[in-house]
Amino acid sequence: MVWAWLIPVISFAVVPLIILFGKRLPGKGSPLAILAILAGFAIFWVVFAGFLSATPETEGCATGVGTKALTCNFQITWFEAGIPGADTSGFDRIEIAWGITIDPLTVSMLGLATFVALMVQIYSLGYMHGDPRIDWYYAFHALFIASMLTLVLADNFLLLYVAWELVGLCSYLLIGFWHERPEPREAAKKAFIVTRIGDVGLLVGILLLWSHVGSFSMSETFAAVAGGELSDGVVTFSALLLFLGAMGKSAQFPFHVWLPDAMEGPTPVSALIHAATMVAAGVYLVARAFPIFSASDTAMLVVATIGLITALGAATIALVATDLKRILAYSTISHLGLMMLSLGAAGYTAAIFHLLAHGFAKALLFLGAGSVMHSTEELDVRRMGGLRKVMPVTAILFSIGALSLGGIPILAGFWSKDEILIAVNDHLNPVFIVLTLLTAFLSALYMARAMFVVFYGKFAEHFEHVHDAPPTMSITMGLLAVFAVFFGLAALNWPGAFDGIGYFIIYEKGHGLEFVVWLAAVSTVLAVGAFIYGYLAYARKSVNLEGARRTFALPLKIAEGRYYVDELYQWTIDRVVLSLSRFVAWFDRALVNDVGINGPGDITRGLGEKLKYHVTGYVYSYVLVMALGLIGLAIFWWLVSR
Amino acid sequence: MVPLVAFQLLSAALFAIGIYGVMARRSAVLIVMSIELMLNAVNINLIAAASHLEGTGRWANFDGHIIAIFIITVAAAEVGLGMAIILRMYRNRSTVNVDEINLMKW
Repeated sequence: MVWAWLIPVISFAVVPLIILFGKRLPGKGSPLAILAILAGFAIFWVVFAGFLSATPETEGCATGVGTKALTCNFQITWFEAGIPGADTSGFDRIEIAWGITIDPLTVSMLGLATFVALMVQIYSLGYMHGDPRIDWYYAFHALFIASMLTLVLADNFLLLYVAWELVGLCSYLLIGFWHERPEPREAAKKAFIVTRIGDVGLLVGILLLWSHVGSFSMSETFAAVAGGELSDGVVTFSALLLFLGAMGKSAQFPFHVWLPDAMEGPTPVSALIHAATMVAAGVYLVARAFPIFSASDTAMLVVATIGLITALGAATIALVATDLKRILAYSTISHLGLMMLSLGAAGYTAAIFHLLAHGFAKALLFLGAGSVMHSTEELDVRRMGGLRKVMPVTAILFSIGALSLGGIPILAGFWSKDEILIAVNDHLNPVFIVLTLLTAFLSALYMARAMFVVFYGKFAEHFEHVHDAPPTMSITMGLLAVFAVFFGLAALNWPGAFDGIGYFIIYEKGHGLEFVVWLAAVSTVLAVGAFIYGYLAYARKSVNLEGARRTFALPLKIAEGRYYVDELYQWTIDRVVLSLSRFVAWFDRALVNDVGINGPGDITRGLGEKLKYHVTGYVYSYVLVMALGLIGLAIFWWLVSR
Repeated sequence: MVPLVAFQLLSAALFAIGIYGVMARRSAVLIVMSIELMLNAVNINLIAAASHLEGTGRWANFDGHIIAIFIITVAAAEVGLGMAIILRMYRNRSTVNVDEINLMKW
C-alpha cells in the first residue's frame, strides 16, 4: 500500500522525458505517457487490494480522525524550520512532511482518475492524430494527471496546495493548447485567473488553520477541530476560505464562468477536466476537509446553498445552449453543484458516489462529443440531426452516457442521484428538495435534448460522408460506458463480497443502501418523463415548442444570456477595476515616477548643467582660484589669530 | 645681520613671480619652471625662519632645513616627471600649449 506514492511519481517522471526526447521517440512519446498511467492504474489495484485487506492494526493505519474510516498514512520529513530540538507541538519548530494518506476517499479518487486518464489518453491517440505538438500534449497530460493524483494522495495541506496549483497550471496549458487561435488563449487565461481568485482563499484558509493548529498535517488539523481546540469562528471562517478555493476549481457560482470557455481546449482535455481532474479537485477538497466543514453549520449551509444555486442555474443554461460541448460543460457545472449540495446536506457518501458515477458518464459524453466533432467538425446542435445513421457506435455510447447522467433507473447516475436526494431530503429545508428535484428533471431534459437532437430525428444530409470513430476512440468509450451502466450496482449490498458503497466511503458511520420509495419513484418519473418528452419534442418533433418559447420568452432570453454573469464581470472590470487601475497608473507615473524618482535626478542634472562652466580647461583660471583661495585663507587665519 | 623681513620680502616676491608665471604662460615648460620658482621661494622662507629662531643660537633648530631638503628632493622628482609628461604631450599633440590640451573639458 505504501507504494501508492509511485502512482503520481511515474507520471511525473515521464514528463521531462517526453519534453526532452519526445521528438525522437516512437509516436512522439505518447506511448510513454500511456504506459506511465497504465502502470499507475495497475498500482492502484495493488493499493486497493492492500487497503481492503488492511485493518486498524496494520502498520501506518488507524481509524481516521473525524471520518471514522480506516486511514493509512505514510510520510517522510521534507524539512524542518525553527529552533532545533524544540517541541514540534507549538510554533517553535515545524516539520513539513511529504506524505500520502490512503483512505476510502483517496482510493476512490485514485481509481477514477487513473482509469479516466488512461481512457482519455488512449482516445487521444485517435483524436489528436497528426497534431504537430502531440509530444507536448502528452507531456501536459501526464503532468496534469500526476498533479491530480498527488492532490488526492496528499496528507498535508501544503502538499495539497502545491498539487492544487499544478492542476491549475496544467489546465491552463491544456485549455490553451491550440494557442494559435485567440479564443483558446483567452479561455486559458480566464480559467487560470478565475480559479486563482479562489486559490487565494484556499491559501489563506490553510494558513489560518496552520496559525491555530501549528501543523499542516490534515489528521492533526482534523483532530484539533474534533477536539474543540479551535473556536467556532475560526472553524467557520477557515471552512469558508477552503470552500472559496473549491468554488474556483469546481466552477461553483459565481466562479463558474471559466468552465464553459474551457471548451476551447481539445475535447479529450475537456473530458479529463470534467471527469477526473481539475473540477473534481474542488469537490474532493470539501470532502477531504469534511471534518472542518461538518463542525460548522454555517459553512455547511453556505456549501449547500451555493451548490443548489449553481446546480439549478447551470441546468437552465444547459437547456438552451446550442453548442454541444457547452451543453455538457453546463451539465458538469450543474452536477458539481449537486455534489456540493450533497456535501452541504451531510451526504458525504452520496457526493463521492455521484462524483464517481458522474465522472464515468461525463468522460463518456465528452469523448462522444469529441467523436462527433472529430468527424463532422461541427459543434452547433442546430445543424446536426440523425447522426446515428452514419456513426452508430458513437450514437449508442453517447446515449448510454446521457441516460446514465439523466438518472434512468439501474444506470449509475440513477443510484448516485438518489443518494443525493435522500441526503437533501433528510438534512435540509423542504425548499431544497423541491429545487433539487427540479434540477434533476432539468438535468434529464437537457441530456435528452443533447442526445435526441444530435443523434436522432431527421438526418442532416450534409453529413452523409461522415465516418464513425476509429477503434482507439470507440473502445475507450465502450469501456467507460460499461462503468456508466454498471457502476451504480456498487451501491447495492452483495452478500459475501461487498457491503455496498455505503460501508466503504463512510463518514463517522457506515450505512447500507438507503432507498426511499417515494423519492426514487418521483425521480424516476421525472427522468423517464423528461426523456420521453425530449424524444417527442426533439426527435419526433410531435410536440411543438414554439408556444412554450413564446410563453417563456423572457426567462429563455435570460438563460440564453447565461444570466449575464460574464457581462456583469466585464462591466465591473471595465468600469471599476480599470478605472481604479488607471488612477493607480496615473499616481505611479505622476507622483512616484516623475516627482519621487526623476525629481532628485533632474535637480542633480540641472545643477551639473549650471556648474559645469567653471571647468574652463585653462590653467590660469585654476591657478587664479587657488591663489585667491590661498589669500582668502590667509586673511581668515589672520583675523582668527588676532 | 640681515633682518628676517628682507628674506620674507624676497620670498614673497619670488612666489608672486611664480604665480604670475603659472597664470600667464601658455607653455607647459615655463609653467613647470614657475612652479620651481614658487618652491624655491618657500625654501628661502623656511631657511630664513630657521636661522632667525630666537634662543639657543643659529643651529638650535633643524626643522626648517629638513623640510627644505625634502622640498628640493620632491622638486627634483617633480621636474623629472613633469618633463616626461610634457615630452609625451608633445609627441602626441605636437604642442605644449596648455590651452590646447582640453580633452577632459566638458
